[in-house]
Amino acid sequence: MPLHDISYKHWQGTHLGVWDRRAAIAKNGLGACLQNRWMWNLVVLCWGVGLVAAALLFLVGQLLVPDSMVVGWVSKFNPTVQTFTALLTGWLANHPEISVGATQNVLFYYLCIWLQRVGIFALGVAIPGLITRDLACNAIVIYSSKAVSRGDYLLGKFATAFGFLTLVWLGPVCAAWFLGNLLSPDWSFFWHARGALGNILIYGVTSMAILSTLALGVSAIGLKEKSTTAVWFMWWILGGVIGPIALHTKPWLRHLSFNFDLDQLALATFRVSDNLKTAEDALPILTTILENNGRSRFVASLDTPNLAGTWLALLAMLGLAAWIIRKRVKPE
Amino acid sequence: MSARLVIETAELTKVFGTQKALDGVSLAVGPGAIGLLGPNGAGKTTFMKCLLQLQPVTSGSAKLLGREVGTEGREIRKRVGYTPEQDCHIPGMAGCEYVTYCAQLCGLPFQVARQRAHEMLDFVGMGQERYRKIDTYSTGMRQRLKLAQAIVHDPEIVFLDEPTNGLDPKGQAQILELVQSLWRVYGITVVLSSHLLLDVQQICEHIIIIARGRVLVHDSLANLKARRRGSAEVVVPGRQEELQSACARAGWPSEVLPNGRVKVEHRSDSLNPLLTLLHQIKLPPLEIIPSPNALEETFVQALEISHAAA
Repeated sequence: MPLHDISYKHWQGTHLGVWDRRAAIAKNGLGACLQNRWMWNLVVLCWGVGLVAAALLFLVGQLLVPDSMVVGWVSKFNPTVQTFTALLTGWLANHPEISVGATQNVLFYYLCIWLQRVGIFALGVAIPGLITRDLACNAIVIYSSKAVSRGDYLLGKFATAFGFLTLVWLGPVCAAWFLGNLLSPDWSFFWHARGALGNILIYGVTSMAILSTLALGVSAIGLKEKSTTAVWFMWWILGGVIGPIALHTKPWLRHLSFNFDLDQLALATFRVSDNLKTAEDALPILTTILENNGRSRFVASLDTPNLAGTWLALLAMLGLAAWIIRKRVKPE
Repeated sequence: MSARLVIETAELTKVFGTQKALDGVSLAVGPGAIGLLGPNGAGKTTFMKCLLQLQPVTSGSAKLLGREVGTEGREIRKRVGYTPEQDCHIPGMAGCEYVTYCAQLCGLPFQVARQRAHEMLDFVGMGQERYRKIDTYSTGMRQRLKLAQAIVHDPEIVFLDEPTNGLDPKGQAQILELVQSLWRVYGITVVLSSHLLLDVQQICEHIIIIARGRVLVHDSLANLKARRRGSAEVVVPGRQEELQSACARAGWPSEVLPNGRVKVEHRSDSLNPLLTLLHQIKLPPLEIIPSPNALEETFVQALEISHAAA
């Protein structure tokens, strides 16, 4: 005999809006993605990388101040270094668009590219938790019988993937930018580094939206968790393998790799080659240093690409993902 | 009048390829415990799915709780509960998490959802197993869980698709008792879809019998039970011809069945005229089997239609 009342009770409250229901789907999905302890370790790793980047920015900032701790520490070893660093800091202080703007732009370009790969890997592991498991357990019927539409469900799942990528990619990058500039010797760093932040946000949001949609499409392909994970990693890895081979035969084949297309997008957004050119113009010695280290190949790899092919390929992939989702995600 | 109706359909049709799953279903049903009866493949599930917008309708229109199904699906489902026939759940969750989540999907705030989830799990009789992953549940537990998720948001109407499937007799009785209380005690309209006549008879006040996508009968259980064709099968120890002659004199058609029984159409709601006739000719019957009532007869008819189509 239960000690408490177990009869049915009516509820007289007010229903929350549809955005709260979408948020509930996203929150639940994110929770499912992070159920694995290894995922948490990965998230910690990404934020650790962000902290390292912030520390690097702190050091760069210290180089711009003649009486900074770093310059003082270096001068202890060799007094001539002090003269050289004084010259360098003076020059850097006079060219904030290079010392702060270009430096941070280049640094965050590489950080974005690196963490994007971690994000793609993490998304591959989390893919079954997006739609695959729901299809396997007929959960779509349950969702469809509640006060959410198919669009609400997909929006919630999209937010799951997007939120997950934010956690392992955009979040650490933005935190690094903010912390790095907060620790800088001058508030004007925030102003000079605004371009880098803009590029991070434009590229980050665009590519995360693309990756999230592609991940939903792959997740909806099958009912078996291993299959959808395998499809994602095969696509990613094969794309990476095909790229260098196709470069000398059929260059358009490289666009079949979403990773290649996103890299092209990153180059076009961050315009690292422009930063390099500005730096070389202001500091000719840099050209000499680079010439001795394969400058032409390095510069060619950073050239701003023609994006027509990239966008065409990405739009085709997004269209395919949308078609798969439309066909597969329905109650029966 | 329309405001009191919970289900209204007009020429509702659903076609899968070349097969008509629903063939011009027109109904107007008020609140209560409604039994949707019919053999497997009759179109019961499709009918419910069309009302819940889980399946797009081919033609016709439907209203649920006075709202247009095609345009106000989300608003309707806020006030409707559904337990699907097949096993479906959201993976990786414990029972109480699942029911809480389902309540959130209907727009309940998290704290309220969690509280109601536990109340509903108590109501359906689930104990500590609510903290276990659903993947480890038995069929009985899953059926209870399905019922809990369907009523957690306090719906006005709940659709139950074969809720006793896969349950042992004790489990069936418990689930049916819970379902019965939903309307009789708490005033929630119940639409129970089943191919089991006994289940529906036990709970429902209104009966809709469907076969091959068509509604054969829609009436109250009391009316259907009261309606008989006025015939009976009489088992007599020989003297069948004598009985037939007496019936002919009374103007009642009769025939001797292959099993030796005499089928008499006495055209009366009661067996009394037949008993009087037997008494008059001094023929004591060994057994009198009254004709089935309209509910049983129509259900058998639905089964025959279904078998003939198969």
